[in-house]
Amino acid sequence: MKILLAEDDPNVSVITQLCLEKIGGHAVTVASDGAQALDAALKDGFDLIILDGMMPKLAGLEVARELQSRGVTSTPIIFLSAKSEEKDIKQFLALGAGFIGKPFDPQAICGRIDEILREKGLAAS
Amino acid sequence: MSSIRARLAMIVLLVVTGMAWFGQASIRTYEDYDRAQGQIGDVLELRAQVLFLDATSYSPKLAGRLKEKRKELGRDPRANLLSDIIQAYNEKDPKALRRRVLAFVDSERRTLNDALLRQREAERKLKQNAAVTALLPLVGLFMLWLTVRASVFRGIDRLSRRMMDFLVDRYSFQFSEPESNELGQLQRTFNSLAQRVINNMDELKSLDQAKSDFLSITSHELRTPMTSIKGSLSLLTSGVMGRLEPQAEKLLKIAESETDRLIRLINDLLDLAKIEAGKLPLKGDWVNWDEMMHKTAQSLVGLANAAKVRIAVQPRPGLEVYMDRDRMQQILTNLVSNSIKFSPEDGTVSVFASKTRNGEMLVQVQDQGIGIAPEDQELIFQKFRQSSSPESPIVKGTGLGLTIARALVEEHGGTIGVHSEKGKGATFYFTLPKWRDQTGHSPDADDVPAERGRGAA
Repeated sequence: MKILLAEDDPNVSVITQLCLEKIGGHAVTVASDGAQALDAALKDGFDLIILDGMMPKLAGLEVARELQSRGVTSTPIIFLSAKSEEKDIKQFLALGAGFIGKPFDPQAICGRIDEILREKGLAAS
Repeated sequence: MSSIRARLAMIVLLVVTGMAWFGQASIRTYEDYDRAQGQIGDVLELRAQVLFLDATSYSPKLAGRLKEKRKELGRDPRANLLSDIIQAYNEKDPKALRRRVLAFVDSERRTLNDALLRQREAERKLKQNAAVTALLPLVGLFMLWLTVRASVFRGIDRLSRRMMDFLVDRYSFQFSEPESNELGQLQRTFNSLAQRVINNMDELKSLDQAKSDFLSITSHELRTPMTSIKGSLSLLTSGVMGRLEPQAEKLLKIAESETDRLIRLINDLLDLAKIEAGKLPLKGDWVNWDEMMHKTAQSLVGLANAAKVRIAVQPRPGLEVYMDRDRMQQILTNLVSNSIKFSPEDGTVSVFASKTRNGEMLVQVQDQGIGIAPEDQELIFQKFRQSSSPESPIVKGTGLGLTIARALVEEHGGTIGVHSEKGKGATFYFTLPKWRDQTGHSPDADDVPAERGRGAA
């Protein structure tokens, strides 16, 4: 599965990428801020976009809204966020996106991703 | 005159002055009356003396008395007439005496009429004054009432309306221009108080905001590095990065389990801070009890297996409980994992749901551990206060699990506690006020509190 990962913290980015590649066997493209993520998502087709909730330039939520307004609606989105406030989670879910709270278990993240995609009726290919 | 006090004093002063003036006038009129009365008596007495004079039986004593009277009259026009009478009496001339007495009485009649008129006039004035003097306090009272009503009662009403406005909606409250009397002073004081309350509220609000911001930032700043640490350790121990020396692997496993504990502690602390700040509103819902218990038991299977403990849940088909799904799972997880931690190997942790005498639902989590000493039974619900008994090495607690469980149960409108005897295991229990039995066989369906029960809203 082709995954776009947008995460501003370089350490978290490296580790998440490793988890997705080594455990899930996915192909990961990394973006380090919201603007980069938006560019990449518009240029290439991905099977899944994973967005950090808080990023410089363009927050995850804004990237997702921008993508939806530009017609990129078929790619599922999952938010990774260290903020677990009810209102933040509500905003993510309102966009039809999935949500995984930080810190996550790297072993479990691939399972969680499959689970979220299944819940949305978008089984991983 | 702006001061209410001065206005009231003015009215009282007017009334007192009026009463004094009319009182004085009454005394003067009474003196007039008294004088007229004296004159009338005088005239009547003299007339009686004169009328009974008899020329045939002369009395020098009587003559002397008349002479004295004559002197008293002085220049009074009647004095001449009296002189004439005395003369006729002295001369013992009955005819002359008779004529002169008649002339005297005739003249005296005018004097008498005059005195009577003056007396009647004085009497009339006296009655008038008395009436005015009696009415003045009544008029004064009426004026006092009008003034008090206009200045005091209306002012108080206005002020209390403003206070109610302030009470109801602090932020749309407008400070009104105070009047220049004592109530105005009260209003000024109230305005300052209200201003102070508004300032304090604003300050509290910003403090509250600062606390929320702190929580939010702290959670983000703590969780981001924890993600890296947890991720790195987990990738290393999972073996996907290549095999490790057994000792290195052991060290990494220790680091990983301690990291997990730290993550749980951070989550618990943030949860507790949110509950205490009232920032964790419950999302109430009717939830199938067996489903909830199945999910909770499922999530704890790993822990139970590691501790070689069995989880036994007594099924309650059809039972539905009004709760916040996620928070109830947190309560149950905390209680059951706590019981697992203190269970002996091959022990069983049992979960029952039943009904209390007052119609609430009672959930019990029973273990076969070493039990909790009575002196520790209240203590263990406090932050970071664990039972003094040795802890199982399998899962280290955060010291907050029971504190959170208690806070969440209370948010649901229930109570939490523990029954235990040293050496005989412990039974943690909590109550939930809102439940229903879908089978319809529940004899206590009517006992279920109404939707608006406290707690889960």
